[in-house]
Amino acid sequence: MISLIAQITTGDDLLVAQNIFWWFFALVTVLAGIKVVTTDNIVHAALYLVIVLAGVAVQFVFLGSEFAAVTQVLVYIGAIVVLLLFGIMLTRGSLGDDQLVDTERRGMGALVALLLFGLMAFSLVDGFEDVVLPEDTRNLIEVEVPIDTDIDDDEFIRTQRGSDTAAIGDTIFESYIVPFEAVSVLLLAALIGAVVIARKE
Amino acid sequence: MDFSAALPVADVVAFNRPAIDWHAASPELILLGFGALLTLVDVIFLDRAKQYTAALAGIGLLVTMVPILTLANDMSETGPRVMFDGAYVIDEFSLIMKAIFILSGYVVILLSTNYIAEGDYWESEYYGLMLSAILGMVVMASSRDLISIFVAFELLSIPSYMLATWKKRSLESNEAGLKYYLMGVFASAIMLYGMSLLFGASGETILTKVNASLSSDPLTGESLSSSTPVLTLAVIFVIVGFAFKVSAAPFHNWAPDTYSGAPIPVTAFLAVASKIAGFVALVQLVFVGFYARADVFQPLMWILAAASMIIGNLIALRQTDIVRLMAYSGVAQAGFILAPLAVAGDVGDQALASIVSYLAIYAAMNLGAFAVILAAARKTGSTSIESMNGLFSYAPGLAVAMTIFMFALAGIPPLGGWFAKFQIFFAVVEQGGTWAIILGVLLAVNSVIALYYYASVARRIWADQAPDGDLTPIRIPPSLGAALVLTVVATLVFGFLPGAVSQFTDVGLIAGG
Amino acid sequence: MLLNQFLLLAAVLFCLGVYGVITRKNGVMVLMSIEMILNAVNINLVAFGAFNGTPIGSVFALFVIAVAAAEVGIGLAIVLLIYRNKKSIDFSEVDILKG
Repeated sequence: MISLIAQITTGDDLLVAQNIFWWFFALVTVLAGIKVVTTDNIVHAALYLVIVLAGVAVQFVFLGSEFAAVTQVLVYIGAIVVLLLFGIMLTRGSLGDDQLVDTERRGMGALVALLLFGLMAFSLVDGFEDVVLPEDTRNLIEVEVPIDTDIDDDEFIRTQRGSDTAAIGDTIFESYIVPFEAVSVLLLAALIGAVVIARKE
Repeated sequence: MDFSAALPVADVVAFNRPAIDWHAASPELILLGFGALLTLVDVIFLDRAKQYTAALAGIGLLVTMVPILTLANDMSETGPRVMFDGAYVIDEFSLIMKAIFILSGYVVILLSTNYIAEGDYWESEYYGLMLSAILGMVVMASSRDLISIFVAFELLSIPSYMLATWKKRSLESNEAGLKYYLMGVFASAIMLYGMSLLFGASGETILTKVNASLSSDPLTGESLSSSTPVLTLAVIFVIVGFAFKVSAAPFHNWAPDTYSGAPIPVTAFLAVASKIAGFVALVQLVFVGFYARADVFQPLMWILAAASMIIGNLIALRQTDIVRLMAYSGVAQAGFILAPLAVAGDVGDQALASIVSYLAIYAAMNLGAFAVILAAARKTGSTSIESMNGLFSYAPGLAVAMTIFMFALAGIPPLGGWFAKFQIFFAVVEQGGTWAIILGVLLAVNSVIALYYYASVARRIWADQAPDGDLTPIRIPPSLGAALVLTVVATLVFGFLPGAVSQFTDVGLIAGG
Repeated sequence: MLLNQFLLLAAVLFCLGVYGVITRKNGVMVLMSIEMILNAVNINLVAFGAFNGTPIGSVFALFVIAVAAAEVGIGLAIVLLIYRNKKSIDFSEVDILKG
């Protein structure tokens, strides 16, 4: 934890700027997250959720995973939140804000959440203290580099950091075809089932 | 961040086409094909297709058994078939579990045939969702990889949430579905957090590699004792996620409400197939993924097993609804199945064999009990325990069948249940430690408590008067009758010829790949 | 950057989500809290992927996002169905039973 603060104050200018931005976005994400679970207005909660989701997308960019960041924005903010808002409009539009939160459970919820956070923070600090991410956090990918531009065949393979989009595609279709196909069946089943359940008789 | 190291133009190494063993994948592909066919038939023939959908789904499941049998036949020559670097494995364990899933799915479809056709339900979609949930289970039985386990888990859960809601006009069914859905989604989120930590500890998702990195540091070869808190956290989160699915106490609250609100065939499906799938995932994680860290998972399993047995049985004693009684009895049985996992680190082979036998017998007994409940409810229209009163006086066949299932569940020889409980008990006691002996005593005490409420159901059937003296017999449609015959025969065979079960269930440790 | 700053941010989001699941009475609000937990999971996955230099972390996160979309879709279908049935019975009891 101490080294976490120490890292902000030391290091070169780029690192300092990066850390200032990181803390800014992390703070915004957490504050919006607190509002999502405490606000009494359900539409506001959905809009604060957009800020949390965008904050998470920014974290993906910090981690050098631009494909996950773009998917996060497209699917989460573009589809899931819109779906949530539709659900809210279709069901609660005419209702007030009462009884969204169980006040009796607030104390218990806060206690559980704090205890859980203490436990998780202790474990994480214990397990990954001072583990530094590589400066370039993009994926390691194997590329073919021509040694001599005249002879095309003579190439060698080296590992370097690079864009993750191609690597993600290769990984899915090399190692994770079974879950990929299963997800496609899952989405189709969810689509058919949701239509049957939501439609009027 | 310094990006200058990246070369401007370089070709990414060409994509390696993975080798696919089509024979090994054929059960899944056939099931998928029949699911697609069912959906297409529904879209093309509309209302005319309704009378064929149940039969088509049933045929699909029976055809899927064919490649499972041929694969089992080849197993002695080829050994386990491993695909994708160990992420997808066809071994004896996975084939037995696939057969259990498909046969119990077939029985559930037999139970559904008249129930769904006579009620106010969407029919074709019902069977389509049922097949996709069974596909998820079949995939689960072979998954030895965190991502595959997660996706298979969701593929079997998401259709189940919708099937629990299928009685669209009944608010009870709707709330049953919503409660099941919220609990299930929350549980899978917790499980995913645990999986993310497991992935972080090893940088891999394949269970054998996760296990290797849990047992020793990949660089120094030393034990990673320093990061034990993280691993403990990861294992706890993953196991808690699955504890929801198998309705182990204290994560069982959803089960009684969901079971009593959902349509009865769906309840049977959730209580049997879906629960067994949760156990299959747990068994694979424990025996392949965490096996090196018995010190972490064993105490957790001990607590879950003891709590489930005690809580499930004590609450079952004062139930007045037979479906809720079955739900709490299911919680107690989850405790029985978890018990061998609490000693799995020491007596692995025996623990695994006892779990597999229990799951096979569990499927037959519970499906049978639900079949009788369904048949009785056709006349009485209710699932209260009183509706069982005097069943013998107007439906002697059903009464005998229900008595067989109740005594099998209670573990009275020579019916199926005794062998299952016996094996679990011996696997636990075999380990010999103090805690194992205490767990063994708990198993024995709880078997006696369970006997009380199972026997009281049997007493009502034989000794009490039928409500209002109404002795009109129950008309049992052929598909329901077939389901009853299948489950009675299975329960009796498992009881009288335990050797037949243990021959199949003595699978040894799961092949990791 | 330290690995732990991402993991601790994820832990905060996770605990906020758990708090929401415990305290919220409304089904849609519970669902939003669960989405925050899933986002915590995704930060963890991508951070560990970056740490290990493997795309598997991002791949896992993509699967989580795809499944989350399916879950939200059917969750809202169920909420809509309950709303429709309850409206015809008792409008004051639209609040959905709690886990």
